[in-house]
Amino acid sequence: MTTRRAGILTLLVVAVASLDAAAQTLPRPPVLAGCPTENLAFHSCALQKAKTFTPPRTSSGKPDFQGYWRSLLTMSFTVEGVREDDPLAKDPFQAWEAAPPEIVEPADRQIPYQPWAVPLGRRGVHFKEYIDPRTTCSTGGIPRLSLQDASQILQPPTDDHILWLHDDHHQFRVIAMDQRPAVGKDVKLWNGISRGRWEGNTLVVETTNLNGYIWMDDSGNFYTDTARLTERMTMIDADVMHYEVTIEDPTAYTRPWKVAWALVREMEAGFELIEESCREGDRSVPNLLKLGRKLYFGATWKNR
Amino acid sequence: MRLAAPRPMTAAVLVVLASTWTGAQTPALPRTPDGKPNLQGIWQVLNTAAWDLQDHSARLGVPGGQTVVDGNDIPYQPATLKQKQQNFANRATADPETKGFLPGVPRIMYMPLPFQIFQTPTHVAMTFEYAQAVRILYTNGTPHPRGPINWWLGDSRGRWDGDTLVVDVVHFTDQTWLDRAGNFHSDALHLVERYTMTGPDHINYEVTVEDPKVFTRPWKMSMLLYRRKEPNVRLLDYLPALLMDEEQAARERAKTK
Repeated sequence: MTTRRAGILTLLVVAVASLDAAAQTLPRPPVLAGCPTENLAFHSCALQKAKTFTPPRTSSGKPDFQGYWRSLLTMSFTVEGVREDDPLAKDPFQAWEAAPPEIVEPADRQIPYQPWAVPLGRRGVHFKEYIDPRTTCSTGGIPRLSLQDASQILQPPTDDHILWLHDDHHQFRVIAMDQRPAVGKDVKLWNGISRGRWEGNTLVVETTNLNGYIWMDDSGNFYTDTARLTERMTMIDADVMHYEVTIEDPTAYTRPWKVAWALVREMEAGFELIEESCREGDRSVPNLLKLGRKLYFGATWKNR
Repeated sequence: MRLAAPRPMTAAVLVVLASTWTGAQTPALPRTPDGKPNLQGIWQVLNTAAWDLQDHSARLGVPGGQTVVDGNDIPYQPATLKQKQQNFANRATADPETKGFLPGVPRIMYMPLPFQIFQTPTHVAMTFEYAQAVRILYTNGTPHPRGPINWWLGDSRGRWDGDTLVVDVVHFTDQTWLDRAGNFHSDALHLVERYTMTGPDHINYEVTVEDPKVFTRPWKMSMLLYRRKEPNVRLLDYLPALLMDEEQAARERAKTK
């Protein structure tokens, strides 16, 4: 009886936490900036559009990405997509909407995990036994941060940094544009250390020094502290950006892989980011711990 | 009468004189393309204000320090002074900062960890190593949103007064303290911050604190912010609540082994 009740409670708590995350993604339109909106089709089309679109410029002549953005063509549950016949699409507590994978490479659109990592990440041990790190008020991490809620890009006219501010848990990304040297590998951060450069109209951001404590989605897909991420951001019309991330991690994967989606401009007049305090009011983590869920902190890949 | 309608030439001379007197065009300051002092970079205090704003001797784990408060006097009302003393007695557990919460403003400014300033013509953004805190100071002429709002770091609207960035901050919670010594405020807290570069590597940071529910009059603190000049200095992260969780997870794992 007690076990059964605890089980139902777990489901309810998880469902509520997940609903909260899911509610933040916008519905998928049939066409976006003249491109189809299935992720791989959008990706291929957007790469072509990027060649011809001339973005607005800052006073110093760089592409002007400033303003408020939201993600589109995303879902929070899994980067590997949810098929119509997936049992989770008919889950009585939380029916996940069927959606194509955000993965656009490799061709099978699955994360190329090494064999040891499959039972952890692919709706495995993480999903069944651990608390989603984001639920503990940590960063969503890269790339998940860019699909949660609204964000704002600031480009100081000195061109030495780009700042990417996120509503989600008051997270931020400092992107150094000044070609400074890397930081020693034993310095590890939740959002890593990012260095950026312009390649034509594309902002290319390389991130290392990640602690590997985040999940890429609600279902527990992950990388370790040896991951290297390369984000490429290109405007394809005045209000739409192509966002692509290459994820490499020699510890967890057999090859690099890639996700892609869109960032669209937030149009609401007078829109501003608001302070999203999280830990200050959080009540869910102690309950999840009582129900036997564990804190993650990379425990599975560290102790393998 | 004559003063009320000066001839254009007189007015121009007065403006020049005024800017000389206030040092409004200190030539050595780095400037952004729009001519404002360039506050960008990584900054940090070198004081003990986070532990105790006022004069204090060393305590275990707390270096002694001199006051950052004008006249060393924080003008509590009789009832709120009792609360402050009680806070001090219980500070090891009662200080909300010990739970890893956002430490409020101005305390976030003098936590002993670095923060970074970014500046555009319409925004000054501050990102903090401590608790991944962010302050967005709007310098685009917009007013505070209508309250009541209880934000841990308040709502900040700034303007340039000559070479000084003046920031008005309201919409606070009553859940943060001003230091570990139990100095506190209510949700009626109103701050006016003044950021003045005194050279390329120093910012004079001055805050007027007003809170009619707690103090008998406005009072002021001031301190220096120092530029971190190590060649590859970067903002890292120190997330107290998650570091506590990480320790807890390690303890749990040790137990089950």
